[in-house]
Amino acid sequence: MNRLILKYAYPITFVILAILAWTVYRIFAGGTGIIGFVVVAVIIWGVGAFAFVYFWPRMTYSAFKRAVVRHGLGGGPIPINTLYATPTLSSPAASNASLLGTGTSDVLYVGGWLDLANGPLVLHVPDMAGRYYSVQFTDPSDGTDFAYVGKRTTGTEAGEYLIRGPHWKGTAPQGMPQIASPNTAALVVGRVFVESESDLPTAYALAQQIQLTPLMGSHR
Amino acid sequence: MTQFLTLLSVSHVVQGVIVGAVLAFLTAQLLMNVALNAVTTKVNGWSTTLKCGQPGNGLLLRAAYARTLPAVNVAQEAAYWTTTVDGAGRRLTGQREYVLHFPAGQLPPNDAFWSLTMNDVAGFMVSNPINRSSVGSTSGLAPNADGSVDIYIQRTPPAGHESNWLPAPAGAFKLMLRAYLPSRAILDGEYHVPPVIQS
Repeated sequence: MNRLILKYAYPITFVILAILAWTVYRIFAGGTGIIGFVVVAVIIWGVGAFAFVYFWPRMTYSAFKRAVVRHGLGGGPIPINTLYATPTLSSPAASNASLLGTGTSDVLYVGGWLDLANGPLVLHVPDMAGRYYSVQFTDPSDGTDFAYVGKRTTGTEAGEYLIRGPHWKGTAPQGMPQIASPNTAALVVGRVFVESESDLPTAYALAQQIQLTPLMGSHR
Repeated sequence: MTQFLTLLSVSHVVQGVIVGAVLAFLTAQLLMNVALNAVTTKVNGWSTTLKCGQPGNGLLLRAAYARTLPAVNVAQEAAYWTTTVDGAGRRLTGQREYVLHFPAGQLPPNDAFWSLTMNDVAGFMVSNPINRSSVGSTSGLAPNADGSVDIYIQRTPPAGHESNWLPAPAGAFKLMLRAYLPSRAILDGEYHVPPVIQS
């Protein structure tokens, strides 16, 4: 569906505008109630345009949340506060109706949705031994990538990172780096580089070790 | 239901709400397009934008990125270029054959990897006989004698250059080039991807 809309955006827009023009023409030709129609239409137009722009990121990311929590990335629904690693690379076979269809076949993707209302989580990453990887944290209210763990930002050694929501008042375990999420919810997208077909099992084993656990003994 | 339809056809207020809402939707799309165009640079037919996912983006830009490039990396992590046209501005299609020529030392500079992916115009991968949807730093591209690299973008295999073949579909297509951990030259806008040339 989405795909059809993308492909035929201009013809669809044209048809909608034609129907609108016809409706407006009918009203004006009718001669009554023109003022009421125009006033309502203009108010809804102005307020609505702002609302669409303001809420667009939220709409997009709530669709991502549905995709992750209800459908998953090929391995069934991904429970909230857990991560799932795709066992195979993006391919045309996986393309249809899949988020991965727009991806790259150079990485294995890791995905998950966080809800930090019940306390912080700990992200565990294995020793990647110099391999390119990244774990991206995105704020679903505005689409900002507010934090990264990975080769560029934290290196490729094994590590643990505390991810906390905006309302948490506790103290992090000694020496554990903190990631402050601006929102109670967050989208996580991980990418683990795959050198070749024969490298796939190694990369997949590493991607599966990117995991989340609740912070021990933490309650709001 | 009948009552609702009657209301719809006689109430000008209800019609005003519908017309206003549709106009609002289209206006929002238009504004997002304008915002996105303002931060997109286009060189040799390749479009790229470097502000995706950055904190501090305005209301309109955040909406535009959420619509077009949702959950995409910040540019420091990965740079992306797309094109649907060749160097002469004509639409890319599998009906023609193309070469993407990187002069020696002009492959996308990066600290991780780069790849060129074949997509349909909506951005999804397309199937092909040899099951290869991308070529790049790990696909074993064969350089020319002078160190330059040619990528053959066409439907049928290029004789003697199969390793540098990116299979095209029958119809229109879109190319996506990625460079992970892009170098300074890319982030500063000094590096330009060469045009796709019809051969």
